[in-house]
Amino acid sequence: MGTARIVFDRWGDRYADCIAGVRSSAVRDLFAAASRPDMISFSGGMPAVDLVPSEAVAAAARNAVIHEGSAALQYGGSDGRVQIRTLVAELMAEIGVRLKPSDLLITAGAQQGLDLLAKTFLNPGDVIITEGPTYVGALQAFSAYQPDVHCIMMDDDGMRMDLLEAELKALGPRGAKFIYTIPNFQNPGGVTMSPERRRRLLELAREYDIPVVEDDPYGRLRFDGGHMKPLRSLDEEVIYLGTFSKIFAPGLRLGWIAAPTPILAKVLLVKQAADLCGSNFAQVTAEYYFQGTGWRRTLAELIRTYAERRDAMLAALDEHFPPEARWSRPDGGFFVWVEFPAYVDCSSMLAEAVEYGVTYAPGDGFFPDGRGKNCMRLAFCYASPEAIAEGVRRLSEVVEDRLELYRAFMAAGVLPNREEGAA
Amino acid sequence: MREKIAVLMGGRSLEREVSLASGRRVGDALTAAGYYVLSLDVTEDLVSTLRSERPDAAYIALHGKYGEDGTIQELLEFLSIPYTGPGVVSCALSWDKSVTKHLLAEKDIPTPAWVTLTAASVKEMGAATALDLVSDEVGGFPVAVKPGRQGSALGLARVDSQEALADALLSALSYDTSALVERWVEGIELAVSVLGEGEDAEVLPAVEIVPPQSALYDFSARTTPGDTDFFAPARITPEAAKEVARIAREVHNALGCRDVSRVDMVLDATGRPYVLECNTSPGMTETSLLPMAAEAADMTFQDVVSRIIKAALSRRQSGT
Repeated sequence: MGTARIVFDRWGDRYADCIAGVRSSAVRDLFAAASRPDMISFSGGMPAVDLVPSEAVAAAARNAVIHEGSAALQYGGSDGRVQIRTLVAELMAEIGVRLKPSDLLITAGAQQGLDLLAKTFLNPGDVIITEGPTYVGALQAFSAYQPDVHCIMMDDDGMRMDLLEAELKALGPRGAKFIYTIPNFQNPGGVTMSPERRRRLLELAREYDIPVVEDDPYGRLRFDGGHMKPLRSLDEEVIYLGTFSKIFAPGLRLGWIAAPTPILAKVLLVKQAADLCGSNFAQVTAEYYFQGTGWRRTLAELIRTYAERRDAMLAALDEHFPPEARWSRPDGGFFVWVEFPAYVDCSSMLAEAVEYGVTYAPGDGFFPDGRGKNCMRLAFCYASPEAIAEGVRRLSEVVEDRLELYRAFMAAGVLPNREEGAA
Repeated sequence: MREKIAVLMGGRSLEREVSLASGRRVGDALTAAGYYVLSLDVTEDLVSTLRSERPDAAYIALHGKYGEDGTIQELLEFLSIPYTGPGVVSCALSWDKSVTKHLLAEKDIPTPAWVTLTAASVKEMGAATALDLVSDEVGGFPVAVKPGRQGSALGLARVDSQEALADALLSALSYDTSALVERWVEGIELAVSVLGEGEDAEVLPAVEIVPPQSALYDFSARTTPGDTDFFAPARITPEAAKEVARIAREVHNALGCRDVSRVDMVLDATGRPYVLECNTSPGMTETSLLPMAAEAADMTFQDVVSRIIKAALSRRQSGT
């Protein structure tokens, strides 16, 4: 009897280098285990689409087919329909950004915008600057183009400009391809960049001649305090990414890029190669959905709901979490970022959390370099206030159990000293 | 009338997804073999469903906690439903790697030197202050650190230095309340599947596992197709194969296993096999080790599943 080499994927040695190294992570596997119904999930940032009235969406989709079927079912321009770009320009005007439809390009969610920008700008090894931590989907989109990601730590006022300036000084003029930021209710940090920092960021970007990419999915989901001007409203050089996912629904996969004309022209070429054009059907449906004022009531309802959930989460954290933990207090958006002492490992803690029936996103996924292990992101957007209270209570038991173990190891002097953990 | 088989899968364990894949595949094989199959994701309705459906036997395709630690087995005994695989005591013994190793050591079956630490001994008795003794106890670094009770190599780490030991233990203790530190045996990783019981137990050809370079055959390697190389039968000498088979049968019987088990070992450079653990509900997915071994023995997947369920059905009269 001969020996057979058993091969599951006979193309295993044929894949591109940049994706061959991508493996299923232990964390993703734990989330698979977390698919059971009694689990309370704080891991995914899923909008509360059940609050979007299905009749309104059905009417919009019906109108799209009945009244504009020949357009809705056909290919369209790569930049998107002029009608939806006009709509986006109106929406942007409401937050203080003046745009013409020709300044805009419609994408399949802001996520496609991230991929297109990375494809447009990045050669392997190019430096880009992001907040640390930053949106994991952006890191994924960028990583396909193999950049060298430099993270700038944040505090309660967003990206720290002293650190950014030091970094830019070290890199020199045009030393990075772009600076990527989520100024409002940052994912995962939950913090918002102060007006002073916004101005300073733009000054530095001008001084070092580096484009700023402003990703603003949550900007309109503000619960408290006044609206802050988008970077794009202060500087027309800023590349702005917007999305319908949080003000309508992510299922339509509709987002947009606003950029200076030469950049937009390049991105348009890249987009043509990627998908010819976006979904006309989704675009026409959105155009109908945003007619009238129904969507404003729905958005107000969404904001009210998310605010209630944020309150429930902060109250539960205040009540149950130990003094060793610190967390952000977001004025909007979806996420609270929790930081533990540097010796805590939130990745391995997840196994125990799953046992207790609660999940979260471990912090190291939001850094390109393995930092953030002592942190976790809690999404408050999806669970009910009651479930949030119960989930935080369960999580606090896990944390307490872990901390007790850590204390025993530290008392024995066997845990190595670590650098101060990630912000 | 066709016999009704409840295939139990899913449940709340960390290996839920693997179990669902095993269960679907087992269910298909049983259907093809002519049984009436009832596929059940294990939830709090399990008992009422089993009572109303009254299956002739249960096929346990659960992995991990509650599926292979004796919990489901004990419940099925109580409900007088015959089930596949080892009984309550064998499962409970095998599920706890430390208990298994104590038992093997008593019977002079080779297993790498190890120590066990529990959350309780750390918190209540100051066990963390003895970490400096670990290295001498197990024969130096590197060592394997793993949860005492967990499947699919979840929480497994290789540790090369004293400084990294505490972190690895803390990580392993997130998966279970006990953790093992075991001498790292460098060599050929083997999975040896056993069918049947007692002296007649049939040992299938050993499957050799070659993990990706400088990595572990851990949970993600186990569940990602194409990540790891497998050879069946293993590329070892006929003498080594014979010795490996003898030891696998000995482990299977020492733990009182019946129907099916999978014994994981490492063959060191001198050709000496060391037993790491015994699994009482081995994976049955497309990429699992037992189906590979069966294929190397010219048995189809359906042959294996039929043989296992027939063993369970034969216990119908005897009350277990």
